[in-house]
Amino acid sequence: MDSHSIIGTKNKKGQVYTDPNHLFFEAPRIPSFFTGSEVIKEAIRRASVDLMVAYPITPQSEAAALIGELYAEGYVTDYMRGENEFGVMSECAGGSFGGARVFTTTAGPGTMRAMENFPMWSGARLPIEMIVTCRGINSPLSIQPDTLEMYFLLETGMLVWHAETAQDFYDWILMGFMVAEQPDVHLPIAICCDGFFVTHTKDVVNLTPVDMCLPPYDPYRSPVPCMDMECPPVRMMRDPFIMKSNYISYATHASWQQEVRAAIERSRKHTIPLLGGLIETENVDAEILIVSSGTAVSQGREAIRLLADEGLRVGLVKIKSLRPWPYHEIREATKHAKHIFVPEFNVAGWMARELKATVPDSDRVVAGPQVAGGMTMPPEVIVEHIQRTLGKSVATLAARGS
Amino acid sequence: MNQPGHYMVRPGPEAFLPPAAASMGNALPDPGQAHINGRIVPEEEAFQEAARMFLGGTVPTIFPGPLVLWAWNEKAKKKATAIKFLYDTLKECAPAGAKPMLIPMPDYRPKYPKINPEVEINPNHPNLTIWHNKIDVCMFVGVHCHQANLSLKIIRGGTNCYTIAMCAQAGHEDACLSFRDASVEKIMYLAEWVKKLKGTVPFGALKKHVAALQTQDRAGGVRS
Amino acid sequence: MSKEKIQICEEFFDIMPPEYQALVTNATWGKEGRGWKDVGVNKELIEQHSLCAGCPESMAFRYILASLPNPEDTVMVGSTGCTSLVFPHVGIHNIHSLFGNQNAVASGLKRALTLRFPGKVKDVVVLAGDGATVDIGLDYTLQSWFRQEKFTTICFDNELYANTGGQESGLMQKGFVAKMAPMGKQFDKVRLPEIARESGCVYVVNCTVSKPSLIEKVVKNAVLIAREIGPTYLQLYTPCILEIGKNSMEGLQEMRDAEKPGERFAYKEYISDQAKAFLADVAEKEKAKKASAKEALAQA
Repeated sequence: MDSHSIIGTKNKKGQVYTDPNHLFFEAPRIPSFFTGSEVIKEAIRRASVDLMVAYPITPQSEAAALIGELYAEGYVTDYMRGENEFGVMSECAGGSFGGARVFTTTAGPGTMRAMENFPMWSGARLPIEMIVTCRGINSPLSIQPDTLEMYFLLETGMLVWHAETAQDFYDWILMGFMVAEQPDVHLPIAICCDGFFVTHTKDVVNLTPVDMCLPPYDPYRSPVPCMDMECPPVRMMRDPFIMKSNYISYATHASWQQEVRAAIERSRKHTIPLLGGLIETENVDAEILIVSSGTAVSQGREAIRLLADEGLRVGLVKIKSLRPWPYHEIREATKHAKHIFVPEFNVAGWMARELKATVPDSDRVVAGPQVAGGMTMPPEVIVEHIQRTLGKSVATLAARGS
Repeated sequence: MNQPGHYMVRPGPEAFLPPAAASMGNALPDPGQAHINGRIVPEEEAFQEAARMFLGGTVPTIFPGPLVLWAWNEKAKKKATAIKFLYDTLKECAPAGAKPMLIPMPDYRPKYPKINPEVEINPNHPNLTIWHNKIDVCMFVGVHCHQANLSLKIIRGGTNCYTIAMCAQAGHEDACLSFRDASVEKIMYLAEWVKKLKGTVPFGALKKHVAALQTQDRAGGVRS
Repeated sequence: MSKEKIQICEEFFDIMPPEYQALVTNATWGKEGRGWKDVGVNKELIEQHSLCAGCPESMAFRYILASLPNPEDTVMVGSTGCTSLVFPHVGIHNIHSLFGNQNAVASGLKRALTLRFPGKVKDVVVLAGDGATVDIGLDYTLQSWFRQEKFTTICFDNELYANTGGQESGLMQKGFVAKMAPMGKQFDKVRLPEIARESGCVYVVNCTVSKPSLIEKVVKNAVLIAREIGPTYLQLYTPCILEIGKNSMEGLQEMRDAEKPGERFAYKEYISDQAKAFLADVAEKEKAKKASAKEALAQA
């Protein structure tokens, strides 16, 4: 199936297969007021998805069920409810091996349950798109937003993007397929967003026209053979037991893993024009910076506004892509800063740790504020943390009420 | 991506486990471009260079892969014809003393119990075929990109072979020279250049060229 | 892929290694009436194997691959274990799943092939050991049957985890002493064929691989029924001669002993009425075909 010749033709729902660049940058946008869950549905409606496998877990159950409605309407070719997340991700693998464009969603404990599949997806070069609506991981149990689970994904060999707003989310769901399916990339991608903050709140999102959709996936534009007995070689496994053969150095196995990492690097070239860069910066000439991803960035923006009212100038770096990691972009953006604050919604402070490993003179990086398990992070808490670090004495927000 | 210079991709033996050139910062060429030793160049320059490498080699070899060995569609059949033509041209134009070879990569599985390196090459242990036949320059065509990258890295790690990739997709950073968007026309054009340069490249010139490459600093690229 | 597509480009035929030339010239792809009698004559679907000499799994593999009705349009899904050592040499696309999730992978695969090739035969066959099927994979095995996913599950039952050194599995007999069961297994061999029947499999067979003609029959039935009606399950006794202390020549007798009447691997079959009617119909059509062929020959 030649993708190019299909552009301009219609699918069975009357949608026109559209050139992605035209769809993303030139097509008219329709402002709509939707929850993040509904945004997922609207993006997938335009994504020419072949197979979605669903399973309930908060806070993505709504989205997963809404895709079921799309299936009933004919926008998604096949759909099923799996038995648990490990099964779901295995079903996704099977679908992708067979040459389908596959999509799924999960969160928190679901991600943990499915974990064994993710490095297998990457090693097998399966361009599955998975949405992760980040939430707490047991124990204790929390269904509320928390980004700890993202850290577990960072060495799976998947692409990992972290959306801040519903608009990011909508655009990146569609763009994710286009990057993941590039023949020189061809990796699974995790599009993360903070559960509830994005999934359950309503926001204005500019949608692309409903009668335009992504071109379909072409499994023969792939760096590995499709497992459909329609392409050579016929004698083929996607995971040859290298270690159980004679005359083979383990260099093959290591080289295979290096190739997956190399594919992540190759995705930069495709991602930067679509996302507008792997990071976004504001006022990075300032001496104080807030650097983070997801809704911690939104809270950071508010904190910056509050600090500006007090005469303090603070810049912002929003990290969009965790894998590939914007190493050079971050070093460049932080070169003037004397203090780099990293607000995060997780107990580990993993983002601060990654930044410390990236920037020269890492003592400039001040972890926090951190909240975990679903605690909110009022902008005042960020303000308080910054001011205290700078030597100002401030009464803590938490004491109001005593 | 703004990288200082590029990681020089040249014949090895490079290392116990060499890094992937993409992880050292090398980017793939855009349509109309190619790369020579990691440096992005206009495609035209790469056709000349590749032809020169072929003609300067002692055992210049073409490795067709499953996508062109098997007649699974019309395009594959046409590419097979073009590749055979390139090989025949090479045989005709290579200087006296050179021994051009055509060795298939029929599939990607590890060969059991033992590969016959005179008859085939395999991405899990391509070095065996390179060493046995003393191949000093080779071109991969019709190999799935993942398996091609495995082969190119392992060859660069353990042999001194100059690798060329004639890729139908976006190209290969791990080859010493790579084309992209390979087509019947491009394969024929390479054959044209081989013919054009016949007699201008002395036998064994590749060795000197590679020795010169080895003296250059392996610049740029920070492992990210 | 039709047999016509499994051809070598003519420019390259001479340089292809001999086994690939044989794959094309002597293959039984698309050969009507291909079966166990082709084993040894045509080795195109399986190259040498690296299993133990005399391993019943290796025998079973050859019979199964010889019996697939349409190998040129069959994709297999395996699991980790001794069988995965053979799969690199199998001449059809096969997927190594992780461990236990083979039926889940097969479910997704079957759906992808169905939506991409509507109306075309694309068989999916799962082949895994007993540990993968009944222990670590039980959830996914049963759920694929509940969902009525249309593919065949074949279990190579050697009654333990052989590849990792012989640990107890669900399909081991009660009282048998093995690693991780030093006092003997404390509970009965799981009655998986009966569970399969109750879970929605429309054709279930429990037997050994002592008779290649029987394997040919049940594999053909299982694949054809799975195409049209519902999930099918074959539990095949392929003893691990190493772990039960036998030598290469003794595997066959071990299977013959285990299938005697009253023994645990005596031939057992569960078949739904619909599947039964389907097989009868298939047999009718075969008979009619043979009769008209005979007539044509007589007239010639």
